[in-house]
This record gives sequence, C-alpha cells and structure tokens, in this order.
Amino acid sequence: MDDVLKTAKRCRHYAMCKIDFLGSGLCRSGAERHYVSFYPQGRMDLYAALAENRIPVTEKCVEIAESCDLCGRCEFQCYFVTEMKPSIVMKALKKHVELHLKNGGQVLTAERDSILDELREVVGEYWATNDRAVALTYSSDPCPIAAPHMPAYVVMPHSTAEISAVIKLLNHYKIPYAVRGNGSSVMGFVMSEGAVIDLGRMKTIDFDEKNWLVRVGPGVAAFDLQKAAVQRGYRVNVAEPSALVCANIMCSGIFSLFSASYGTAADNYTDAEFVGRSGEVFRLNEKSAPNLFAFRREDSAVPGICSSASVRLHPVTSDEGAAFVPFEALEPALDFARECAMRRIGLGIGVLGGEYISVFLSPTKKLADEVKDTIKDKLKIEYLVLVIGDKYALRSIKEMGYNYFDNRLIRTLILGLPSLTSAKWFDLMNELADDEPFSYLGLRRFPDFAEAALAPSPAKLVRSVDAELRPFFEKLYARPEMTDPVWLNMFRIVSSRMGREKHVVAMIIYLPIDNKLITDINSEFKRIADSHGLKNDYGFITPLDQGKRCVFEYDYYLDHNNPDERMKMQQAMMDAGMMIEKYYAETGTVTWIRHVFCQGFSRKESFLYSGTVTDKCQG
Amino acid sequence: MPGIIMENHKKYFLTGATGFLGSHIMAGLLLTGKGVVIAGRPSGGESLRERIRRLLKWFGIIRLEPLLEYYETDFFKSRLGLSEDEYRNLCNWGFSIIHCASDTSFAEKNRARVIRSNVESLTEILNFAHESRTHCFHFISTAYAVGADRIECPEAQINTARFTNVYEESKARAESIVSGRCGEVEIPYTIIRPSIVYGNSVTGRSLKFNALYYPIRSLQIIRDIYLEDIRNNNGIKSAECGVYINNQGALHLPIKIFIPNEGRINLIPVDYFTDTIISIIDKPVSGTIYHVTSINPESISRLVSYTERFLNITGIDVVIGTSSADELRNPPEELFDHFIKIYRPYLSDTRIFKRENTDMTTGGVLPPGLDYQIFQKCMAFANSVDWGKTLFR
Repeated sequence: MDDVLKTAKRCRHYAMCKIDFLGSGLCRSGAERHYVSFYPQGRMDLYAALAENRIPVTEKCVEIAESCDLCGRCEFQCYFVTEMKPSIVMKALKKHVELHLKNGGQVLTAERDSILDELREVVGEYWATNDRAVALTYSSDPCPIAAPHMPAYVVMPHSTAEISAVIKLLNHYKIPYAVRGNGSSVMGFVMSEGAVIDLGRMKTIDFDEKNWLVRVGPGVAAFDLQKAAVQRGYRVNVAEPSALVCANIMCSGIFSLFSASYGTAADNYTDAEFVGRSGEVFRLNEKSAPNLFAFRREDSAVPGICSSASVRLHPVTSDEGAAFVPFEALEPALDFARECAMRRIGLGIGVLGGEYISVFLSPTKKLADEVKDTIKDKLKIEYLVLVIGDKYALRSIKEMGYNYFDNRLIRTLILGLPSLTSAKWFDLMNELADDEPFSYLGLRRFPDFAEAALAPSPAKLVRSVDAELRPFFEKLYARPEMTDPVWLNMFRIVSSRMGREKHVVAMIIYLPIDNKLITDINSEFKRIADSHGLKNDYGFITPLDQGKRCVFEYDYYLDHNNPDERMKMQQAMMDAGMMIEKYYAETGTVTWIRHVFCQGFSRKESFLYSGTVTDKCQG
Repeated sequence: MPGIIMENHKKYFLTGATGFLGSHIMAGLLLTGKGVVIAGRPSGGESLRERIRRLLKWFGIIRLEPLLEYYETDFFKSRLGLSEDEYRNLCNWGFSIIHCASDTSFAEKNRARVIRSNVESLTEILNFAHESRTHCFHFISTAYAVGADRIECPEAQINTARFTNVYEESKARAESIVSGRCGEVEIPYTIIRPSIVYGNSVTGRSLKFNALYYPIRSLQIIRDIYLEDIRNNNGIKSAECGVYINNQGALHLPIKIFIPNEGRINLIPVDYFTDTIISIIDKPVSGTIYHVTSINPESISRLVSYTERFLNITGIDVVIGTSSADELRNPPEELFDHFIKIYRPYLSDTRIFKRENTDMTTGGVLPPGLDYQIFQKCMAFANSVDWGKTLFR
C-alpha cells in the first residue's frame, strides 16, 4: 500500500476538518456544499475507495475532486490532531479523476429514482442524492463493531419542517434511516442501508441572554457554539469540539470536566424540539411530549430527531485559572477530586492520567514519547487533578495544602516541553522532595526559575514538527489561547490527539467515587485489554453531583484498518461489557454508558442512581 | 561482658553490604583476608550475588570473591527467611556480625518504612546473634543518634527526645534495643557511630552522592541553567535575578545561605571510616560505643569557598540568621534553599562528638581535614560518573 492510500485509510473520522479550530479557515468546498464528501474527511474515504476500485467515478466524484482548491488548510488541522498530512490525498484524488477524464473514462450518472425525486422536492435538488461517491463517504466509520453500510440516499434537510417531511416520506416507503451529525461519535450509529439524514446544514445559533439560553440547531458543532458563547462572555458545557451539540445530547448526554459543576444530560438544556419517529414535531416542555427525562436501563432506540435544543449558558469571570495538582497515585488524586466536588471548589474538575501532558500537549508523537518517561520518572506524575476555577477556588486549593501547576507554569511547560527530557534539575527535585513530593511547586519564584530552565518558546516547541508546517505552528503556539489551560479545556481541541497513534474506543461508566471500586475496575480494564494485546490507558474521571458519582473513561486503542486488531477489540469490548455488568450486579451503582445511549436527554439522577435498592428502611 | 576485649575472629556475617558504608566494610574485610558471609536481598532483577559482584568489580577486588558467601535473607521472617538447614548451619559457624543494613531516608512520610527497616527488623537479626552465639554484634549507627539536645556528646547512650529526622530517631531506638537485648542474653556488642561520610580522600571515589554532594550538585545544576540562559537565550531571566558572568568569566550567582548559627559540618572520608571500623571490629570492647567522627568539622564558609572555586562561580554568601518570611528571594536562591532543606540542620551543627573509645582503639588516628585537593577530587569523580548515574557503566 503506498503512502497516499495509507494516509487516506488512516482517517479517524473525528471531523476536526469540519470546524475551524485553529483559526486557519475551513475547507471552502466543505463549507459551501456541506456534505461530508466535500470535506477532507470525505475525500480521504473517496480516494481510498477509488484507489481500491470499490466505486466508479461518478458525477459527484468529479465535483468533489474538482472543488478542492488544494488550499492546504486541512494539512494544518489534520497534522495538529493526528500528524497526518492529507494534502497528498487531496492531490492524488484530483489527479486520479483528471487522469480518468483525460483517458476518456466513464463518469457514472446517478440513476433517476422516484423516491429521490420526492426527497429533492422536500429539501431541494442539491440536498438529496443517491450518487455512489457521496454515499460512500457516509458508509463507514472506524468503529470495530460496525459493518459498513452503503446508504441508498443521503439527505440534508434545512429546517424542522423538512426533517419532518423527510421522515414521513421515508416511513411511507419503509426506508430505514440513520441520523448523522458530524459522525464523530465513531460508534457505528450513523450508517444505514436506507437513508442517512445529515443535519449539517442546520447551523442556527440564537441567543436568549435574558434567559441564559442559546437555541442551537442540530448542525452546530461544540467548538462553534463555545466560540459564539465566549464572544458574548458566556460558557456552554460541551464535549469534543467537532461533536454536534444536539446529537451529543441525544446520544449520551454531554459530559466534560465542567460537568463537575454544570452537570450532565438534562442539566445542560431547558427545552428541545424533536421530530418524532412518525414525523410529528414536539417540544420536550409540552405536557403531552414523550417523557425523555426518564431512563430505562436497557439498549434504547432513538426517540426521534432533535431539531434544536435550548442550551444553558454559564457565567464566566475574568479571574478564572487552572490548577494541575500532581499525584503519585490514583487514590489520593480521587480523594482530592472528591473533596473539591463535595466542597464545590472549582467549575471543572478532572482526574487525568500523567500522559495528559505528553500526549495532549505535545505537538508531535515524537515529542510525546520523549517527554512521557520524564513526566513519570522524573516529575513522578502518575495522575493530575485539573481544577478550573476562579481565584477563590484556586486559593482554596492552596489552603487545602496542595501545590499545583498554574496557568503560567503550564504555559512554561507546554512551550518548554522539548527541554524537559534534558532537565537535570528535575532529578534533584525528586531526590530532595522525598518528604513533600511536588513541594517545589509551592516556591514563590519557581515559575521564574522554570522559565529560565526550560526557556519556553513557540519556536522551541515546534522543533519536532514537520519542517514545512513549522512556520504555521510557531505562529499558532504564539497565540495565548494555545497555552491557556482554561481555553484548551473549554474548546477541547487537544483531546482528539489521544487518537494520534491509533483509533480510540472509550469505555465509559458512571459510578461512585469509591477508590477501591475505581482502582479495581481500572485494573480490570487494563487486564482485559492486555490479555487481547491492545494498547490501553486510563482516560479521565470527573466528579458529578457533588462527588457522589463520577464519570470514568478508560481507553482502548486499535488500528482500525487491521482486521486482527478489530477482532481483538470486539472481544475486548465484550469482555469489558461483561465485567461492567458484573460490577453492576454486585454494587447496583455502576452504569455503563451503553445503556445511556439514545437517552442523553434524561435526568442524570435517573441513571446515576438507577441501581436496585437493596437497603430498605425498617419500619 | 562489658569491658572484656574480645578475640579477633576471621569470619564475619555482614548485612547492608550493597550500601555505601556496608560495601566499604566488605571491601575492607576482604582486603585484610577475612571471610565474609553476605546477607541481603536481590533487587531490581539482580540477585544478591550479582549486586555484590558489581561492587567487587567497582572496588577492583573481584579476585577476592572466593572469600565471600551469599545468603538471600529476609530480616522480617523467622530464621531470616532461610531454610532450617541453612540457618542451623550458619548458627554453627560462630562469626561476628556486622549489622549495617539501614534505611537512610530522612523523610517523615517514610516514617513507617524507616522504623520497620531500622528498628523492627532487629528482632530476627538479634535472635540470630543469640542463637549463633556470635562473637560480637557490631551495630552501625550514626553519630546523630545522640539527638539534638546537647553540645557535648559522649560515646554513650543518651536519652533524647529531640531528633532532626526519623532516621536519627530510628537509630537511637535501635541502639537502645541492641544494647538491651545484647545485655539481656549476654551477646557481646559494639555500637559504631559515624558522622557524615563522603568519598575516598585519596582517590575521590564514592558510591553515594548525597549529604556533602547535594549542595554542590544543586549549585552546579543551577549554574548550568543560568549559563545556558546567558549564552543561548539572551540572559533575560538571569538579568532579572542579578545573575551575570563577571570579568573573570565566573558566573555571579547571588545566593544567600541562611544558617542559624556558626556551626560546622562533621565530615569524614570513607577510607578513614573503613580503616577505623576494621580496627574496632578487630579488637572490639563489648558494650562500647565508638564515635567515628571528625574533631575538626568543616565550616560552611570554607565549603562555600571550595564550591565557588570548583564551579567557577561567585556570589554565594553565608548569612547567620534566618530570612524573613516576607522576603522575596531570587529564584536560584529560593530553589537552592529548597534543595538543601533536609541537610540544613547538619550545616551548622554545634555538637562536639567525644571519641575517647575510638582513639583508644585506633591509637588516635584522625581523619584528614577536607582540603581543596580532596574536595576537588571527590567532586570531579562525582561529575565523572554523573553524580552516580553512570557509576557502573
């Protein structure tokens, strides 16, 4: 397999090329034509299919190839996340099609189809298609348990009325359908042999500041919503930047580090509009609406299509900052996180693995690998509790006796990462800090010293970046927000780097912050993945509901193009599922996110505390 | 038993032989033709024998390995974790025991571990001393087991409540247990109390680089950071805290070292330590405590001048007193202060360790003073092995 095809097939479908998260601009053709096929992600799939002779050259295929102006924006975006350089694929696609046309190759015209005609009557000629080139880009994702399905139709409605009409039409012809946001869940939910309804055109964002709300269309991505909210001085609780907000609420409910104070699931919205399965439109706040606040512990079907949601806005103060409190073990980190949650200290709280610094903050895998051991062996950081809060919260952490990396130190650390491995002074820090690990963080002038020692600079940070892209990344890292831990955690643009090496499958559960239970389950997740030979790592834990519960993510990794790893992952997921069920049976307090899927609009209390009640009051 | 001069016995049972002092005792014994039974543990994937062989090579005495026997032991298990046969066999040999194994952490958070290693482990080793009818049980303690309550410290057990750290406290408790149990079951014993031991005064070689070495290593690292800043990063951070390269090419590092009084630091070289131990165990006087210490402790000012010369730096200022809590110290100064925190009590020590018993045994041989030549040799060696990191490469 040549490098171009390899690159094309490595696309993780994280949809990061569909948002302008670097401020470098969006792919023009994608922004105009909306189908994923016209974004770099779609072109990667299309090129791979053409190169492997899985589809013919079609009319849309020609349009997709020709509409790429080789601007190179996708290069910056994709490199930032996965270190891939997709422009070789974009060029190869154009070349493939040009050559095909030059050689007088046939261009397949999509067959006329009466159902398609009817769909086009609803959404407009351009926004429904049965072209194979477009359909292909909606046919698969890297999920190891989902088989590809080539949809017969791809439809892009633009309003609630259009969604309703499309649903009625599809129901009439008994055509199954899947609803798609950005498809970034990569859990195989967005494929169908019937129709795929892509909501990417419905990007309305209407602020209702009097009520601290913003009404969001189903095509709005988390990054874009957060950006709009921040411009007005607010914050929203959103998940991965490319995830569409409505789809995300629908799927699992939104959780982030900010869920420690903003909550999750039904806490995030006040109302939502739906198109039901029969095409009827209802709002959640209507008395007659289906009760989506309830939760049933079982695999559920989608109750309808969320066509808008009124999302809560949160205030932001000018004194917010971050505290990264380092720990040598998980248990004390959990104790601290729980205490912060119980005492309502901080807005966002997350127990992160020590690799957060190396994997998330390093611009390249090479640098991440270099600093990984330094962080564990020299800095002795196994876990970090990240607390985002105002100056009073940060002061409280100091008063609790914890030293931490603050905004300034994190900026120094990020921009000085390349100096970390050769920093001999860290050896000494640990040899001498035997009694009080991390006590150096409490020194008043340590930030000055760290700046002298690490000599942080954007130029230094990007030394390991591909030479062609270095000037862009040097400018990028000179922007204050790129080293601002509050901004980075609000917009979450670095978390997708966890999939830089391999595709990630997140195992997510809700459970009490019970140290033994968590460490046991953590060990079990690891044991299962190890037994199948899969790369795996602790993800994060965020306290919920004042620390009474938490959300825990453990990550398994696979090469999604490797059939052997796909099979191993399927087995590992099955084993992990059985393990979670076993803990549920034993404790009644462990909830697998699988059971929350399609019930993300429910009240968090209904799934956090849904276990069988065994302790009854004695009367 | 007290006061009786014991006979010289040719075979020794040694614990802690993989440590700094223990390994030098082992080497000293082997070089005088003594047989040594090494009791210890495997570690880091290496067997006890592999660990010891590595040390023998370092000492250049691998040829003497035939004088050694190895027993992998566990002092928390009955019969030292040995089989009945092995244990009985050892008990019948009748050798002298040198108990040097110790946890040297000063950290309060390691209190339980230190007490377990240094105090609780004594039960089985003393049982062994009793059951093997040892000729003499030599306990390697520390001069600082005398505690922090008095200036004049005799070679005697002192009831003290105040210690600088858990290590000192554990050694004091251990001494009490050793003398109590040995007295009770009539085991001849000695207690040997060295002060702070640094490298070989002739060769500069050492196996451990803490104590005397830490402050110099700290300053060297701080120096290199600011030199790098001046040479490659425009020296902006250096200028902010008054660090510069002076006309003579030395780095000026304005660092004040606050010490509470004009005390001194009691240092002895490891070659002196070894020779003295060999003399003591050669003709031990049961029930005796020996101070293996210096009668001329070094002043901090002198060590600072050595350090400035060795590192080609200026600006280190020793100040008698304490810094004000509100005083904003410059970054290198604050960091250096943090680095030497655990050693601060030893930098201005006013204690005087009496050493009549040691002088009687050694004929009054004293340790050499730490002059610049010795200092330079020791620090150059430390640098040559990257402060221990490349010691065995």
